[in-house]
Amino acid sequence: MSVSHDINTLRELKDGKLSFEKLHGMISGFKDADRFDKMVKIWQDSVEWDDPILLPLAEHLFVVRKPDGRRIVKSTWGYEYCDVNENWKLHAKVFVRDTEELINEIYPDKLGCDPEWMQLREYYDPLSGTLLEVEVVPPGYPIVHDFKPDIDTFYRDWLGRPVP
Amino acid sequence: MNQFIMSMDAGGTMTDTFFVDDTGRFVVGKAQTTPADESIGFGRSVEDALAQWGQSPEAVFPKVATGIYSGTSMLNRLLERKGRRLGVIVTAGMEDYFQLERGIQTYLGYSYQDRLKVLTHRHNQPLVPRERMKGVRGRIDLFGTEAIPLYEHEAEAAVAELLDMDVEGIVVNLLFSYVNGAHENAVKEAALKVMERKGKSVPIYLSSELYPVMQDFARLNTVTIEAYAAEPSRGQFQKIANRAKGFGGQFELRVMASHGGTISTEARELARTLISGPIGGMVGARHLGAELGIGNIVCSDIGGTSFDLGLITGGEFTTKTQPDMARFVLKLPLVDIDSVGAGTGSYVRLDPISKRIEFGPDSAGSRIGMCFEQGGVDTPTLSDCNIILGNLNPNNFLGGEVILNKERSYQAIKERIADPLGLDPYDAAEGVLQLFENHLRNEVYARVFGKGYSPEDYTLFSYGGGGPMHVAGYTKGLNFADVLVPAWAAGFSAFGCACADFEYRLDRTVNVATASPDLAPAAFEQGFNLLSGAVNAGWEGLRAKVKDEFSKSGVDAAQIEYRHCLRVQYVGQLNDVEIELPFQEIRSVDDIREIIERFEAAYSKEFSRSAKSPELGYLVTNVLVRGVVKVMKPALPNFPLHGPEPTEDALKEIRPIYRNGKWHDARIFDMDELLPGNVITGPAVIEASSTTFMVPPGAEARLDQHLIFHLRHLED
Repeated sequence: MSVSHDINTLRELKDGKLSFEKLHGMISGFKDADRFDKMVKIWQDSVEWDDPILLPLAEHLFVVRKPDGRRIVKSTWGYEYCDVNENWKLHAKVFVRDTEELINEIYPDKLGCDPEWMQLREYYDPLSGTLLEVEVVPPGYPIVHDFKPDIDTFYRDWLGRPVP
Repeated sequence: MNQFIMSMDAGGTMTDTFFVDDTGRFVVGKAQTTPADESIGFGRSVEDALAQWGQSPEAVFPKVATGIYSGTSMLNRLLERKGRRLGVIVTAGMEDYFQLERGIQTYLGYSYQDRLKVLTHRHNQPLVPRERMKGVRGRIDLFGTEAIPLYEHEAEAAVAELLDMDVEGIVVNLLFSYVNGAHENAVKEAALKVMERKGKSVPIYLSSELYPVMQDFARLNTVTIEAYAAEPSRGQFQKIANRAKGFGGQFELRVMASHGGTISTEARELARTLISGPIGGMVGARHLGAELGIGNIVCSDIGGTSFDLGLITGGEFTTKTQPDMARFVLKLPLVDIDSVGAGTGSYVRLDPISKRIEFGPDSAGSRIGMCFEQGGVDTPTLSDCNIILGNLNPNNFLGGEVILNKERSYQAIKERIADPLGLDPYDAAEGVLQLFENHLRNEVYARVFGKGYSPEDYTLFSYGGGGPMHVAGYTKGLNFADVLVPAWAAGFSAFGCACADFEYRLDRTVNVATASPDLAPAAFEQGFNLLSGAVNAGWEGLRAKVKDEFSKSGVDAAQIEYRHCLRVQYVGQLNDVEIELPFQEIRSVDDIREIIERFEAAYSKEFSRSAKSPELGYLVTNVLVRGVVKVMKPALPNFPLHGPEPTEDALKEIRPIYRNGKWHDARIFDMDELLPGNVITGPAVIEASSTTFMVPPGAEARLDQHLIFHLRHLED
């Protein structure tokens, strides 16, 4: 027999509303085999668009299937970035903190990095202006591609079914 | 019957009272706990108990010689963070004690797996918030000399700020105050001055007065808990004492404490009554052992949630000095007892990946298992296994008060355990119980063997509601000298509380070293004054404190029996060992030789002989004084012996039980109908209202004149 959590519990987990005791029990207990499908349903219910979610990609970002079969990266607010195999960051609004003054806004005085050595790149959702991701890299470093999921293999080998 | 002993246990839900008369006859009463005023629940529980004798409280209480309290209200106050509003003054720079918690408190009480899983670690809500933690500069070094004088104006300012925040008490805990309390005293003086100026007065708790022991964080926790949770309990004790007086009681109510003795409700160090539940059984076993002439005892207690193990060697149990409780590290003496496994209500699960059977760590507790439909449990427990195998009578739980559903147990075990494993449900349930009993047997063996002893030299006591059911399983093959199951196993903890002496145990850190007399004779002779001075002064001071505590209860100093102990370790090692000395003052180098001899003997028993390392000398870490006043204890029942064959009335029925892969026709006996002298040969089950004693095939149990069963494995 396998462990399974109630969908409301998982919704509370997503919203950070679970008591620590309950959360601790979930962390320490056996893994629930049906977590993925339930979480996708919770995410799907939480957004206003209808494209089916294939995979949550990062906070506020999902891989969805368009009616024509394309798999694209889409934000909670409905901004469609690009094909799943491309780096969504190339299509986001970017703000680079590469001067002492800009870095000090976040890390005052001596707490920040030297802009000659390191810069902060902030990626924002163009529709909502929400900060999605921050990269801390040396100047000139290529944009980091965080995650390139192999969705077909994941569905076939882990979930045991074809991609919907 | 002329005299009675009463003990009470105010638990989270039920208040139990236990009365025993001087012939050993006893009754147990139960009533709901009334947390706002515990004396109400106490009164009802007393009435419930004495009604079984057809007596009224007013008739019995004037003849009660001893009354002992134990309860969980102090612990609950701590867990619910409902204690007093305190301020704390510490050495400047150390104000974040409760935020840092030495790291260790973020995972105290966790399973080994969870300790490794950092994600589960969590900080506790501090007893005192950061804004009421004040630092004061100044420093006493580890030798007790003043390295930086105390900044008294900072102390005054800190006290003034705390008073403005309306604190109800101030705790003072400075570094190395256990060696030299001068700075803490200076803080107290400053505080008194400020309080006078402001016209406000709150109590001040100095760690150097209450718990002069090393390890500043554990000491701070202990003193803070004393002020936060223990102090408010005095009011409850007073109410209970008043209720007892109202019934005509003449006795002084005493409280069970963590060191295994009872103390007055007026004792200065009340925080040690925080932990009293599990040690009652140990105290009872020690008393029973003394009565029966048994010095070496393994105590095993199976309740609904845990399996507790403790050792009594030479008539004494050992004491831990740094226990942890409710996720606090503490500096309190606690009878050495360990929870090492699951209890009868522990859940049984199958790991979905490895298909391994796992017990607990959570348990159904009072909700028993799937068999108890109203309990709302949805995972099978060990009790469910016992039900379907015929070991437990579903119609006899709590004497038939609760009727259990065998079919639900069967279905749960079939679906959750047996089917996924491809086993027959009965084989699966038996396998689960065997695994459980094997685990307990390994733990029992490890405890005894790990201390350098051998089971042949020990007698095992089994008690608690679930002990007698599994005792045959976890003792088989271990060759204990004897295995004893008291007929009152389920009430053994309450019985134990009634067996406790009136005892104060106080300690103080001294940390003085001596060289080895053989390896460095000159240094040994030279160090005599330092060591004897520190130990003698320490003992003398503690004796005075013990006497002072007893005088609050009007105990005459001549009645107090003092015992002098030291904790000693090799210089450079970390584990100290407690030894008792036959003198109360070091007078000559021969006395120090005696200390070393006793330490080495104790050390080589507990650790390896080859780990001895006298070359750097010996360190006396703590001096201890135990003051004991003997009190009346429950008499052992003593009945005439009858023949080995039980009467026909005792045999309730023949019931099939499943064991070793087949069904046996087991004789089911009523424990209350068995007579001293009766011998029961397995397969048999002896049922009482609160416990079930299993005598499997190949074993026999003899009931002796004291109503104690002796279990013997015939095949061993």
